Amino acid sequence: MQIRSRSIAALFVVSAISGACGSSATPAPTAAPTAAPTAAVTAAPTDAATAAPSAAYTDAAFCTKPPSAAGQSLTVVSYGGAYQAAQDKAWFQPYAAATGITITQSQDSANATIKSQVESGQVSWDLVDVGNDFGLDANANLLEPIDYSLVPKDQILPGFAATYRVAAITYGIVMAYRSDKFAGAVPQSWADFFDTTKFPGKRGLYDYSTGGVLEIALLADGVAPKDLYPLDVPRALKKLDTIKDSIVWWSSGAKSQEQIGAGEVTMSMMWNGRAWSAKHVDSKPVEIQWNQQLMVADYWVVPKGTPNKAAAMQMLGWMSCANNNGAVSKYITYGPPNKFAAVDPTNKPDLAVSNINDTTVTVNDQYLVTNASQLDELYNAWKTK
Amino acid sequence: MSAPAAVKEGAGRAKRGPLISGWGSLAVPLLVLLTLAFLVPMFLIIVRSVTDPVDVGLGNYVTFFTNEADMRVLGNTFYIAVICTVACLAVGYPYAYLMAIVPQRVAGIMLVFVLVPFWSSLLVRTFAWEVILRDTGIINTLLLNLKVITEPLPLIRNTFAVILGMSQILLPFMVLPLYSVMQRIDPELTRAAANLGAGPFAAFRRVFVPLSFPGVTAGCLLVFVLALGFYITPTILGSARETMISRFIADQVQVRVNWGLASAMAVILMVLTFVVLAVASRFVKLRDVYGALGES
Repeated sequence: MQIRSRSIAALFVVSAISGACGSSATPAPTAAPTAAPTAAVTAAPTDAATAAPSAAYTDAAFCTKPPSAAGQSLTVVSYGGAYQAAQDKAWFQPYAAATGITITQSQDSANATIKSQVESGQVSWDLVDVGNDFGLDANANLLEPIDYSLVPKDQILPGFAATYRVAAITYGIVMAYRSDKFAGAVPQSWADFFDTTKFPGKRGLYDYSTGGVLEIALLADGVAPKDLYPLDVPRALKKLDTIKDSIVWWSSGAKSQEQIGAGEVTMSMMWNGRAWSAKHVDSKPVEIQWNQQLMVADYWVVPKGTPNKAAAMQMLGWMSCANNNGAVSKYITYGPPNKFAAVDPTNKPDLAVSNINDTTVTVNDQYLVTNASQLDELYNAWKTK
Repeated sequence: MSAPAAVKEGAGRAKRGPLISGWGSLAVPLLVLLTLAFLVPMFLIIVRSVTDPVDVGLGNYVTFFTNEADMRVLGNTFYIAVICTVACLAVGYPYAYLMAIVPQRVAGIMLVFVLVPFWSSLLVRTFAWEVILRDTGIINTLLLNLKVITEPLPLIRNTFAVILGMSQILLPFMVLPLYSVMQRIDPELTRAAANLGAGPFAAFRRVFVPLSFPGVTAGCLLVFVLALGFYITPTILGSARETMISRFIADQVQVRVNWGLASAMAVILMVLTFVVLAVASRFVKLRDVYGALGES
């Protein structure tokens, strides 16, 4: 009896372990050639950088023919879906082909995971795509500083390269509207968004105090873009209160796309790529109003203590090169942070960077991150009332 | 469950010494797992709630209790959990009663009806409710097309939708304990009561209902405790006014990466749950005992 019970328990343990391994192990695209001369290759870019700080990215060869990284491997993490598929085609595959590096991907980027990896000392993510609320100095204890001898900081749009992060893509928080619901009338500004008499129907809004909702309320209430920060939260909430019963909150990009596609809302604040997908992928009558768009970015960060820091920085430098940075726009309507990067001509009109005008607002991440808890407190108190 | 069994085994073979042996040893993996996966993390969370950020002391708790939204959402959480429990009992009790009195074969089919939703994902069921209830959903589209209504009925983004969605998910946790108790109630007892002059309703109310109390207690406690942890369903089916505390905890963990505050919130929810359970179980058990004595 005892033997039997033990063997049953052992079976459980074994199956649990193998189950766990089976689900967590991501299939590596290619087996790393073990005989490759790793040491010499790894040392090359770092040495060069130390010897001549500006050499790396200004050297055209680095951007077109990056130094071999055969035998090395990187775990790159983003948000999955059409976005990561685009990044894979534009950056991950070409870089792996050019350098011989093995890139393992994960699709579950989360600030919390970075924190738990760094805190436990088990850092398995090397290069992570994060949202605009992460990677500022507040997270200094979790991240490696970006190596700006490899990343061309002077070519990146102002505000999109910081100590611990550099933008991966730029996008706009825009007003998307149903072109079939307003008898031909076109909403021109966030003020129209708040006018449910002129433009009837429900409104989709992103459910986070730091996700742009306070900014659009203030713009609608007549605050000039340059006077937006520091945010006048009570004023923003008073404006939001005027449409409170018409708000349908969303908290994922996919949800916002589905809501406007189904007609549950007639207007929504959306990430421009999602609004584009509602029209071009789901074939719904959805249009974008670019006036008063909020410019934001997703960022690359390198978790502190990763054993592959040098390889991560080199790949980051390569992706930020003008000749590579715009490649994603071929597959999804997100633009490059490198101001000299070429973008896909077909998708160019649908990129946030192509629609910058004097009403465009650049979101002040530093302000939002520094004040997040106060913003949350006021916003949640209003929202749950 | 396993602990008394282990003790019995040990007592029977007292001479051989080991407290846990034979079948009792089967409980060891679970005990180890519970310790590693539940007690240790719980302890770490309590520690974190007073040490993150360093020197925070009770600061996270002060932050929570002085925050208007947090207090309101905590209240919402218990309010919704109570309503949910009542709703599940109201629907589940007659259902379980019916299961207990119909032939076994029919009861089996009824059991499947309860369990089928139990086997599908919570997310799928919640999204299904959304598709049914929303302004452009099945019900409203149908009624609008039939010209029964001119404006969509407010079926979603309110307390009604949250209770509906949560109750459906939680119903099995009410019906199963109720059924398991009711099925063991001897039908002769109600018949005996009838023999002694009780009408059908009096016999049901004074004999059957008290005997079913252990099932009611178990079902209510299960549903209530599980309901306290919900946040996806209220987020999708409710408005911001139905926000529950787990949503705020998840936001602090995932979005704000403020684990100290998240830990404090989790500890508060846990302690309040224990308090409610302690009070409730005591109260219900007393009633239970009185009921049993009164009828015997």
